[in-house]
Amino acid sequence: MASSRDDFVIAIRSAFLKKSTKQKFSLLTLVFTSIFVIVLSNLDLKVVRYLKIGINELVYRSSFVVSIPENFIKDTFIEVSDYTTFFNDYKKKRIELAELKSDYVSNEIIQNENKELKELINDYVLTSDKIFARIIVDHESPFLKSIIINKGSKDGIKIGTNIYDQSYLVGRVIEINYKTSRVLLLSDLNSNVPVTIAPQNIQAIVTGTGDNYGQIKYIKDGLSEEIDQDSIVYTSGTGAIFKSGIPVGKLKIIDENSSLKFSVNFYSDFSQLKYVFAEVINISENLDLNTSESNNENSKTERAKLQILENELEIIEETNSKFLEENINLKNEINNLNIKLLMLDDELSSKNTTINQFNIDKKELEFLKLNLEFGHKCRKSRKLFQKTTGFDPGSVEYKKCVLNKGIVIND
Amino acid sequence: MISFKSKGFFSKFYSWLPIFVLYVSVLNEFDINYLNLDFFSFNFPFILIFYFTLKDFKNFDYLLVFFAGLINDTVVGLPLGISSLSFMIICIATSYFRNITIRPNQAKDWFYFLFIIILVNSLNYSILTLFFSYNLILWGYVVNIFFTFIFYLFFITIFRFYLKGLND
Repeated sequence: MASSRDDFVIAIRSAFLKKSTKQKFSLLTLVFTSIFVIVLSNLDLKVVRYLKIGINELVYRSSFVVSIPENFIKDTFIEVSDYTTFFNDYKKKRIELAELKSDYVSNEIIQNENKELKELINDYVLTSDKIFARIIVDHESPFLKSIIINKGSKDGIKIGTNIYDQSYLVGRVIEINYKTSRVLLLSDLNSNVPVTIAPQNIQAIVTGTGDNYGQIKYIKDGLSEEIDQDSIVYTSGTGAIFKSGIPVGKLKIIDENSSLKFSVNFYSDFSQLKYVFAEVINISENLDLNTSESNNENSKTERAKLQILENELEIIEETNSKFLEENINLKNEINNLNIKLLMLDDELSSKNTTINQFNIDKKELEFLKLNLEFGHKCRKSRKLFQKTTGFDPGSVEYKKCVLNKGIVIND
Repeated sequence: MISFKSKGFFSKFYSWLPIFVLYVSVLNEFDINYLNLDFFSFNFPFILIFYFTLKDFKNFDYLLVFFAGLINDTVVGLPLGISSLSFMIICIATSYFRNITIRPNQAKDWFYFLFIIILVNSLNYSILTLFFSYNLILWGYVVNIFFTFIFYLFFITIFRFYLKGLND
């Protein structure tokens, strides 16, 4: 018993402390170093921070270089699958583009109006520049969803900077280095985004699930019944972590064992990202602005508004010309129809005349038939010593008499 | 079969290949999941470290493994030192297992590996959730352990070929 315990102790001690000829450090030393590194990396010391930034820069660049072959294979695979659906996608995109173009002008008008109103109430004005950033590392851990972009503190990126794919929200910056930053994707379990569900205007929080969709959480009781399938989810701006009004995804209602679950299908496919936009925001108080700056800003706004109005005018003129063209076509059509109507009227009247003639002829024929049969009864007799009866042929009475088959009806 | 008669650059490179592959795998985080299967993942560095430290491979320096852990943490975005600690625990476990084993058996190694990856991942999960308040999918860890366990046999077959090539 004692010997087996001794063996165990010897084996453990040997495992921890024994160094082979090539090993420079014992495992016990390295375990303690690991624990020391864990503790140290979480201390907010300047030296540690700079050291971490240095390590991050070096590792991210190395990772990018090492990933080139794998990325090439991945890209080829994606390209091949893209080519198979290329034509259908193109047709769909063309329709979408036409719809979006029409929405664009009205959106810009609203944005400018919004800006103007903010200026009127002396609110702060957000001016933002979107920086184009390339994704250098996107190796998603099975447990954490994040990407590394090639823009850092040098380019004005800050912790919390919003990251977009076109105009869709992708995530926010959680770690910045000098020339690189780490972005926490919306799909990460640790991501929580305050959102508004439109058109019901319901406030909620979207949390990541680890997959390419999010889950709606924390909806006020009773409001969940109002939510419709395919409602639009966009950031509410609550908490000032994310800017308000950024599209996040479309809502999907899942009926799981008679309880409703709400998931959000993100507009952006995070596994296909290559480039993103980082929004660098400058907040400037309206009151602090000097006059030249404000004038400049105003003239810029006015110019933008003018441009939009010109665009709008162009669209209206185009629409008007289309309406005019349509009007002329319609008038021509009406004229043609009127001519056709007149012709039909003529035809109808000639037909009516024929029918009337036919009726008259029919009556005449009937009269002649009856005249042959009953004419002698109605004609005036001119015999001697007989009372004169009947009518003169051709008179109205004679005709009546013949039509009544020789019976004289006194009026 | 690969064999090296001379001790040139390629021979040296071949003898350092496991460490090189370890660094590539931590920098690349490859998991061959191009089909985007849900939860599918496996931990290749665990297999590599377990096998070569169990075989007491001469060029598999613990210090280099420690640095590989630091790189892994940086790439994945975990607190610095977590993966190093996990890798070191695997090294200790294999060192202990080597000390107590008289007749090596592949099946025993395989199940011991399962025990070790469960232990390491549990520790990893506990540290991240308890001390760093990370939200993690436990189910994801379970699947990761399962596939790492399954792929072990496949990879050690390749490693055995590698060692044979080195000994020849």
